[in-house]
Amino acid sequence: MKTRFTSKLILRISDTWMVFTEELRRIFHDPGVLVLFFLAPIAYPILYNYIYIENVIRDVPVAVVDMDCSPESRLYIHQWDATPEVKVAYSCTSMEEAEHLLTKGKVHGILYFPEDFNDCLHSGLKSAHLSLYCDMSSFLYMKNVYMSANQVMLDKMYQIQVDRYRAMNMDENLSWAIVQAVPYEENTPYNPTNGYGAFLVPAVLMLIIHQTLIFGISMLSGTAVQENREVFFLPGRRRRYSVFRILLGRGAAYFTLYMAICMYVLVLVPHMFGLPHVGSIWDIIRFIVPYLLATIYFGMMIASVYKQRETGMMTLLPTSLIFLFISGVSWPTVSVPRVWRYLGDLFPYTWGVHGFLNINTAGATLYTTIREYIALWLLAAFYFGLCCLIYMVRSRRHEKRLEEGLDQHITHEQKMRELQDLVHETEDKMTREMERHLNSLWSRTKHAITRAPED
Amino acid sequence: MLSGKEIWAAFGRVIRREMRLMFHQPIYFYSTLIVMMVCTIFFLTLLHRGQPERMPVAVVDMDCSTISRRIVHELNATQSVVVAYRCADFAEARRMMQRGDVYAILVIPENLYNDMLSFKRPTLTFYINATYTMGATVAYKQLMMFGNLASGAFQREVLRKKGLPDSLIMQRIQPIVIDGHMLSNPSSNYSVYLSSVLLPGILGLIVLVITVFSIGMELKWKTSRNLLAEARGSMVIAMVGKMVPHIMVYTTMGISLNILLFRIMGFPMNGSLVWLCVGMFLYILAVQSIGVTIVGLLPVLRDALSISALYGMLSFSLSGFTFPVEGMPGPIQVFSWCFPLRHYFRLYVSEALMGNPTVDSMVFIGCQLLFILPQYLVHKRLKNAFIYQNYPLK
Repeated sequence: MKTRFTSKLILRISDTWMVFTEELRRIFHDPGVLVLFFLAPIAYPILYNYIYIENVIRDVPVAVVDMDCSPESRLYIHQWDATPEVKVAYSCTSMEEAEHLLTKGKVHGILYFPEDFNDCLHSGLKSAHLSLYCDMSSFLYMKNVYMSANQVMLDKMYQIQVDRYRAMNMDENLSWAIVQAVPYEENTPYNPTNGYGAFLVPAVLMLIIHQTLIFGISMLSGTAVQENREVFFLPGRRRRYSVFRILLGRGAAYFTLYMAICMYVLVLVPHMFGLPHVGSIWDIIRFIVPYLLATIYFGMMIASVYKQRETGMMTLLPTSLIFLFISGVSWPTVSVPRVWRYLGDLFPYTWGVHGFLNINTAGATLYTTIREYIALWLLAAFYFGLCCLIYMVRSRRHEKRLEEGLDQHITHEQKMRELQDLVHETEDKMTREMERHLNSLWSRTKHAITRAPED
Repeated sequence: MLSGKEIWAAFGRVIRREMRLMFHQPIYFYSTLIVMMVCTIFFLTLLHRGQPERMPVAVVDMDCSTISRRIVHELNATQSVVVAYRCADFAEARRMMQRGDVYAILVIPENLYNDMLSFKRPTLTFYINATYTMGATVAYKQLMMFGNLASGAFQREVLRKKGLPDSLIMQRIQPIVIDGHMLSNPSSNYSVYLSSVLLPGILGLIVLVITVFSIGMELKWKTSRNLLAEARGSMVIAMVGKMVPHIMVYTTMGISLNILLFRIMGFPMNGSLVWLCVGMFLYILAVQSIGVTIVGLLPVLRDALSISALYGMLSFSLSGFTFPVEGMPGPIQVFSWCFPLRHYFRLYVSEALMGNPTVDSMVFIGCQLLFILPQYLVHKRLKNAFIYQNYPLK
């Protein structure tokens, strides 16, 4: 009894090993898949890092319209110019001029000082009103212009008030205590410059892993279906109850390759390009194990839809943006409508990217981000189960067709294509034959002609 | 040379042939109409609120006085943030932030109330979680405003005690006021930012991939000789005829999209929608031309598709509608000119947001026109591939 069990186990392991090596062989013999599995994950991170290397936008050109021309307004302009966010590029004499610059895209903000700016400040009877016009063509321009102008305004506001109290012979500390009773200080512990690149690129790295894996898997299984190979059977066998071994073997092949690729994309790249990488490497490695497994079986489930080599990539390409937005990275999770949030929870990327950002950027431990870790294991199990179901149903259908003697279950289209191939081949053969024939004829004639005078 | 009549007949044959192919393969239907519709519905419903609201923040209240409770209450009343957690110590709040549950932490120091009354200036501390930049920015803006309002409220009370009238107090507390004007998008609606370029971008991605696919399939199925025969050996007739049905479908989709965004959804449109639609038409032609060029240079379906996927995904970054191109390195700025989406984005800014005179938009329309040319450079190479079919099929 025991020996029978062990021999069965050995058989199963050797079956799985066979699927594993067969899948690796297919991957390495398919140039299209090699591009997706190796070239894209190597090239994309470098390219994206280079695009966002500046990380933050500095010195956005702005214009000022100073109708007051007082020392106060000049000082304000000077201070605004001194902020890292903007650069006062133009000083205009009229609003029309400044608006013209704005519509031409030369400046991205206008600050307007009315004539009574100085008078209001000094009389203390009326607030001085400034008008700020923001270019809304980019969120980051607006943020820079708006935040820097406000920062200067706040500093100025507190200073004016303190000066007024000081003029009433009040002690400096006391006047500050009245003017700004509760000062605040801000800390940005993770991604300290609030940079766009440092935020987006780590999320894109996870997306690259996810998408190349899914595209590659759908290309592999699409090709197999197209070439009429048995996807649902063990290679070379015609018995169906081997779904488990197939799924395990194929999954192990992708997993082994992608563990190595993840080392480069998720560990090496953040170090190489100075992206935030405060988390422990060991935690990242442990975290990507369920992420890869969930993604692999999610990908295999999706791939089972495709019957052609290229169609998977074509239809799935725009999903990259959907994954990015539904995960709550680009757009805050709490603002994602509930329906989409529930749908997003079914995608491994949603959990994967949050966990990775928490560990890599915010320095969380695996224990802190345990929710994402467990969710990924659950998803991996869920998609593995779904894949089992799909493969079982389809292999049964396949087997039935084999039994019914429809061994050559070739569709009309494929038959046509094969016929066409045959025609082309025959054409080529005939052309070659003809050429050979003509050539020999020609050489014989030439021979005859050259020999003729001798005779 | 073909006579005029023959040319038209050849065109007709190629167009009919292409339409037959389009209707007989469900992949065209799925990867154009269905994908585009799903993306449109997704992005418009995802961003329909326009502004991220009620970002969760954590408060570490070490004071536990009436004033600190009032701070929490007032914070909850704001539109942008909501106090999701009240933590007993900072370590707990920090874990919340590392877990991504909150976008910011507000630490209220011990003895806040007493220190305020004794003019000791107790400090509020904010921690911002910039791992998720959008939520962090919204929360930060609100907390900063809140900090200033808190000081203002205190000063108002002091001045009131001194017996100043409220009318005077306001200008005392706020000697300078900035009136912000968000030009042509007054509520800074993110849907306007993103949807009006993201969705044409997705359309462009579809156009590119389908163009490459439809030509690559001729090579893969070895039907290219048949196509050339139908076109009487003319590459121009073959390619233009092949593209015409696609152009009609995509232009209809693009213009319906613009009508949906600017007429039905009411996105700001300060210029002319007609010119934007003309731009959309030329954008589709430009993207198609790039697709033909790619498949002409690499007449292998698999390679051409990979390259166009790479190019298509890059176009979102390099069009500059999220991170401005001006902030990217020099070579990338030059490279960004090779993306029709970049020119479409600039046309959109000029027409819809700025309402510039039409003359200004002509530059961007002209740029799109230039993209139509390069496809003719690869016609010879593509014709050879069509005839000899000497490239790998897989």
